[in-house]
Amino acid sequence: MIWATRRHVHIDRTACAWLLRRFVDSRAEFVFVDDPDELPAEATPFDMRGVELGHREGRCSFESILVHYQLHDPALVRISRVVHEADIGDERYDAPEAPGLDALIRGLARDARDDIHLVALTGPLYDALYTLWSHES
Amino acid sequence: MVLVYRLPRTPSTPRITLWRKLRRLGVAQIVDGVVALPAGLDTREQLEWLADEVVQAGGEATIWLADPAAAAQHRALVQAMTERIEAEYRQITAEAQSACVSPIVERRRTLARLRRELRRVGARQHFPTKQAQAARDAVEALADAVAQEQAA
Repeated sequence: MIWATRRHVHIDRTACAWLLRRFVDSRAEFVFVDDPDELPAEATPFDMRGVELGHREGRCSFESILVHYQLHDPALVRISRVVHEADIGDERYDAPEAPGLDALIRGLARDARDDIHLVALTGPLYDALYTLWSHES
Repeated sequence: MVLVYRLPRTPSTPRITLWRKLRRLGVAQIVDGVVALPAGLDTREQLEWLADEVVQAGGEATIWLADPAAAAQHRALVQAMTERIEAEYRQITAEAQSACVSPIVERRRTLARLRRELRRVGARQHFPTKQAQAARDAVEALADAVAQEQAA
């Protein structure tokens, strides 16, 4: 499937791309657009205004994907809290990892050639959190 | 960048939620229903999500990239935002300094609270101010005092 989101990805969109590819669609391809009008017809949008896989009822897009695809894995829920706090920062959750993850992704973004590259660079961070919390929970 | 919005008077919960979120972003209120933030990818995204929430709550919201017609207008806006943030930093500095002489348990609790508060204020600070470093220094001095007490 083709998945589309806004250009200049940061924490929520890199996390969503990782989540989609690892748990929803292993052959996911991503396109990045500047304006919603540029969305390819066959693409499923995420983390864009007004779409189901976006910010909804106080949730960040990562959380909306968990809800939509009924992913209840406790390790994913824990990652979703970190993403929520790094993205929205409303102190809904206690996620001390959030500022650290935010800093790592900002640093990686400096080295990344483009959004696809940044998604590739950040994947191992989410893999690591998933491995850690799969063994703890 | 300017967000222009209108929300129904009732229910009041979405209005309160929105106002809390706008405050967290550190917006400058121009008039009722018109707020501004410096243009940037992050701030634009945050305003766009809030605009969505306004629409979902039955209101109207549009976002504009705006230039004030007069430089003085721009200066006044920046000054108002900076003064508000500086007042918050001064408050942190004052609390950190007075906590240095309070009982150790209270000192530790105050330290944790002021560090959280520093992060919150930092998130809504859009223009540089010396008060930020002064507040950080005061909180670190408090941390040093707590550490010495614990070592003693």
